Amino acid sequence: MATLSFRALRKSYDQTLVLHHVDVEVGDGEYLVLVGPSGCGKSTLLRCIAGLEEISAGELWIGDRRVDPLPPRERNVAMVFQSYALYPHMTVRENMGFALRVQKRPAAEIEQAVLEAARMLELEPLLDRYPSQMSGGQRQRVAMGRAIVRRPDVFLFDEPLSNLDASLRHHMRVELKRLHRRLATTIVHVTHDQVEALTLADRILVLNAGVVQQFGSPRELYDRPANTFVAQFIGSPSMNLLPGSGSGGEVRIDGVDGTLPLDRDGAFTLGVRPTDLVVKGEAAAGLAGTVDVVESLGAEALVHIQLGPHAVVAQMPEPTPFSAGDSVRVGVGVVHAFHTDSGLRL
Amino acid sequence: MARRPSTPRVVLTHVAIVLVTIAALYPVLWVLKMAFSPGQAFSMDLNPIPTTVTLDNFRDVIGTTDTQGNWLFGRQLLNSLLVSCATSVVGLALSTTAAYALSRWRFPGREQGMNAFLVTQMFPGVVMAIPLYLLLDAFGLLDSLTGLVLVYATTSVPFSVWTLKGYFDTIPIALEEAAMLDGASRWLTFRAIVLPLARPALAVTGLFSFMTAWNEFILAATLMGDPLSFTLPVVLQRYVSDHGTEWGHFAAGAVIVSLPVMILFFALQRHFVEGLTAGGVKG
Amino acid sequence: MIVLALTAGAAEITVWHAYRGAEQDALVEAVGAFDAQSPHTVRLVEIPFGAYASKLETAIPRGNGPDLFIASHDNLGKWTTMGLVEPLSVAPEGHLAAALDAVTLQGTVWGQPLAYKSVLMLYDPSRVDHAPTTTDELIAMARAQTVDGRYGLAWEASEPYFHAGLMHAFGARALEPEGGAKLDTPEHAAAMAFSRRLAIDEGIAPAQPTGALIGQLYDEDRVTFVFSGPWFTADRGRAIAAAPLPVVSATGRPMAPYLTVEAVYEVPGAAEGSGELAAFLARGEGARIRSEKGGQAVSDVDITSSDPLLRTLAEQAKSAVPMPSDPDVANAFEALARSLRAVQRGTSTPEQGARDAQVYYDILSRPLPPEADPRPWFALVGLLVVGALGWLGLQLRDAALRARVVAHARDYLWILPAGLSISVLVVLPFVTGAAVSLFAHKGGEWRFVGLANFLDIALARDWPVTSPLSFVFTLGVTLLWTSANVALHVSLGMALALLLREPWVRLRGVWRALLIVPWAVPNYITALIWKGLFHAQFGAVNALLGLVLFRGGPVELDWFASFSTAFCANLVTNTWLGFPFMMVVTLGALQAIPRELEEAAEVDGAGRWFAFRHVTWPMLKPALLPAVVLGSVWTFNMFNVIYLVSGGEPNSSTEILISEAYRWAFSRGNRYGYAAAYAVMIFGVLLVYSRTANRLVGEKVI
Repeated sequence: MATLSFRALRKSYDQTLVLHHVDVEVGDGEYLVLVGPSGCGKSTLLRCIAGLEEISAGELWIGDRRVDPLPPRERNVAMVFQSYALYPHMTVRENMGFALRVQKRPAAEIEQAVLEAARMLELEPLLDRYPSQMSGGQRQRVAMGRAIVRRPDVFLFDEPLSNLDASLRHHMRVELKRLHRRLATTIVHVTHDQVEALTLADRILVLNAGVVQQFGSPRELYDRPANTFVAQFIGSPSMNLLPGSGSGGEVRIDGVDGTLPLDRDGAFTLGVRPTDLVVKGEAAAGLAGTVDVVESLGAEALVHIQLGPHAVVAQMPEPTPFSAGDSVRVGVGVVHAFHTDSGLRL
Repeated sequence: MARRPSTPRVVLTHVAIVLVTIAALYPVLWVLKMAFSPGQAFSMDLNPIPTTVTLDNFRDVIGTTDTQGNWLFGRQLLNSLLVSCATSVVGLALSTTAAYALSRWRFPGREQGMNAFLVTQMFPGVVMAIPLYLLLDAFGLLDSLTGLVLVYATTSVPFSVWTLKGYFDTIPIALEEAAMLDGASRWLTFRAIVLPLARPALAVTGLFSFMTAWNEFILAATLMGDPLSFTLPVVLQRYVSDHGTEWGHFAAGAVIVSLPVMILFFALQRHFVEGLTAGGVKG
Repeated sequence: MIVLALTAGAAEITVWHAYRGAEQDALVEAVGAFDAQSPHTVRLVEIPFGAYASKLETAIPRGNGPDLFIASHDNLGKWTTMGLVEPLSVAPEGHLAAALDAVTLQGTVWGQPLAYKSVLMLYDPSRVDHAPTTTDELIAMARAQTVDGRYGLAWEASEPYFHAGLMHAFGARALEPEGGAKLDTPEHAAAMAFSRRLAIDEGIAPAQPTGALIGQLYDEDRVTFVFSGPWFTADRGRAIAAAPLPVVSATGRPMAPYLTVEAVYEVPGAAEGSGELAAFLARGEGARIRSEKGGQAVSDVDITSSDPLLRTLAEQAKSAVPMPSDPDVANAFEALARSLRAVQRGTSTPEQGARDAQVYYDILSRPLPPEADPRPWFALVGLLVVGALGWLGLQLRDAALRARVVAHARDYLWILPAGLSISVLVVLPFVTGAAVSLFAHKGGEWRFVGLANFLDIALARDWPVTSPLSFVFTLGVTLLWTSANVALHVSLGMALALLLREPWVRLRGVWRALLIVPWAVPNYITALIWKGLFHAQFGAVNALLGLVLFRGGPVELDWFASFSTAFCANLVTNTWLGFPFMMVVTLGALQAIPRELEEAAEVDGAGRWFAFRHVTWPMLKPALLPAVVLGSVWTFNMFNVIYLVSGGEPNSSTEILISEAYRWAFSRGNRYGYAAAYAVMIFGVLLVYSRTANRLVGEKVI
């Protein structure tokens, strides 16, 4: 019973609008990831949910309660801060039990809840340590634990993995997924990392400059990006965008020799994921280009190709037959088409 | 990091530090010398080490009784301790909430309020003793330690607010936000999160309030009418009179008066740098 | 009814006094004797000497005073004007005429005389077998005694009370019988000249003598003759004999010291039985106990002591002059003291000294400004209040502001405790105190004068701007004082902090702990110590200078004889007191600056100084500024050091504004209004300073 809904939500500081009309419905138990470049308003939106920022217009509902007029403590949400915000003068046990202590729960119950969460996060040996005596990963888990103990309606994660190193981040990503499965609680997770978004989310909300770009499942976003921003933001390496114009079953790219056999008329922006670029020898059909750099990632290679004035990246399995300086022809598999001016999907 | 400058520089630096330290301690050693030497004279030679050591002066000062045989010194020491401790507690109670509000919230009048706190530091005390006397008289607080505590605590508020606000500014706000999400009210957040974290600053400000009360004698002498309610600094003044100063007693008293402050200073030394610095950070 | 009668019959009588030692013990015993034979109970309260006068003047008018108090008679004039004392309910009888005279004012006897004191000739019976009877004889004997670091004679030559003997012998006097003082007379000049001869020219007396110093010299067998009172004999470690003061050979008249009479006074509304207690203490049994146990020279004619000191006192009393009880005498004394110091230092001739004393006396005793009409002021205050309320109202008409005030309503609760207590206990007393600046006060008389005090101060109406008494001069000194101090505090504090963070300095923690000691010891104690260290003849500073500069040769630099050295003495003391605070603040601020930044600068080729100047200092500055502003405000009002070390010498030139205000309030004729005006102007200067500091820095300092 903890859906989360933003109804025509707006937020402005003084005269500056930082969130335009967010109108989104998140289902009970859903894992929502808010993603976007820094400064896009995603953290602000999270802080609005928490009640740390006031919204300027619209409504915010958690389950069947309208929460936007409520102070943070009456919203029953738990938050994991980017800095973890562990109370430095309390042990792990005290940190995790703090919220329950505030609610004046009996000591036994608090202990029980703390232990349970600690077991879940493998924090039991650390319970009597102070934050300063722990590593970054451990602190991160304590911050998680503190949120879990609360049994809130909604979890709010503010870039929880950004302070961890790469391998730990990957490990914690898996942990989070597992945790979500066990808790089955609504989670709102803010990140600027699209991989985190794709791997963790049930649904992703992409924000740019305070405007919702797209809201949907990772698959939808990947397969049918709503605009060039989402297209480029989701997926790594980014989708290649080329200015195309088509007529009579052929599409030409400005300044590039060769054509692509696509049935679309008029000018548009052609989007092709690196995995959907097909690179062939000089003799084949397609767009003519030159290999600029080949990056090997072990199992795969990223081949950077100069197509006339445009640079594109193709992803293909290793070993690749191409090396820098080779003349190649490039064909396409799945393509996306966007409006040239608005960038919207056609 | 482990660069070591040239040997002459190291030696010169140490010599300079030792010289400054000697200069800093010399007058204090003087007090010790007079306190531990027999007689009431002002010591007149270069040597700050007593030649004959006696505890007579301390015995005289500590053994002071009044005409009814009450142990006057004990009462006055107790008064001083009570007043000074109460002053730190009341002073902190008055200033922490204000400092926190000034540090965290942007309410109309905040700037003016902060200026007002600073401005009160500029009031020359000379003209205030008699109005204070009248005021306490009107409240029936004359001759009472409570009245004295209130006056001292209030006097210490501006500096305390200044120091504490500076320190609060350095406590990450995320901690308080976390607590509020954990369901804590503003008051509970303040009490359970902010205050424990501000311990160094509280210690330093508390010590300053303590010192304000511990060393003050002009107001204490004006507002208190009974030797049983005098504080130690007032009593020290009786060794300094028109007919000459009883230096031995005065110095012994001075040592006794300085001792608790010194002990507190050294105990809280660690916090000093931390607690005061933050006060220097603008906000 | 019976209970009532009992309580009415058995009152508690509170007596204030400032006696110490044997005198106190005797008083306790005498009171005990009264207790035993009377239904009343007596409570004796010892008030510290320093606070005594001001306590009497604040407590008694508000009904918080005692029933009786014991004090010497020299303030009686002020007390009668202020209504602190009541004519006696039991007439005194059987006392020495001189003692009764002293406590009689305008034909009324105000106090039961207890004891009298005066300056005597005290001498070392192991050195000389008799006291000289003339000054010529005295000089001859003293010369013979002045050998091997010994002195023939010592007395507090620049204190008018001790100078009085010579003054009267030369036919001069502090106050004229018809009121006012004539100090610019040949008699005064002659007395000063002779005083200088005795104290300096003959080379028989130590420099800058204070009571404590003389006592010490005596105990060390380094002085033979002393002009001092009976109190001097109390704490002596060696035998001492007394004789009447000698006859001044030049005039043939005896040195006639002041006679001060200690008396017990009744306070208006004194409890029943107070009068009887006072009379009991003064005569008969009470007097006998005080004479025998307390060694007091009692004024009861029926008691003759066998004690040689008391007999000498009785002898001396015959030629002594009762100390005037007119408050104006304080002005004459202050004027005389200034001139005496100047003459003895050789910065002024006796004739010039007498002239200066007159000028200074005229300044101190100048009439109050004319009375002003208070009505426009009521109107003005009313207008200001209405204006302020109106302004507030106008502000609140802004709906956005109003909304913010309402939204933050609960925030104000957090400020409330501090705000309220400061308003009541700091702002209110200051405003009340400041309002006094619109009045003038002298010797018990109050008058509303409007802005006259401010105009007098600002326009230097009563003396030239270049006089040390002028506001502008003192302001200049104060600014010099503040800036020199702050500069030294910051540079010394910062230098030490920079050294103490170097990892290669050993025992850093120890130095740091020891260096904050000056901060921990109460400053009124250490200021007094520093004053002693700067003594011309016996101070450690001069001894050290002699050791360093002249290989042990004597240095007798009189630190308080010229402005520059006296200012230096103050400055050294206050630098000593103030650098630890700056050191600690700097240490803290340095912690926030990563060493890497400086190291990076050094790697980039910058020298140490350059790295400090361009990297450390810019980062340090914002953290230090608030401490500097606060520190300068404290220094600006650092009363204790000025008052206790230089005491304003020479000629009030080293006074700062706050100590000037204090002098006007408490030692120059109690001109409270004038002092309050000073306080208001001090506040104004500081306010302007802090605003300017903010502007100069271009950002908010605090």
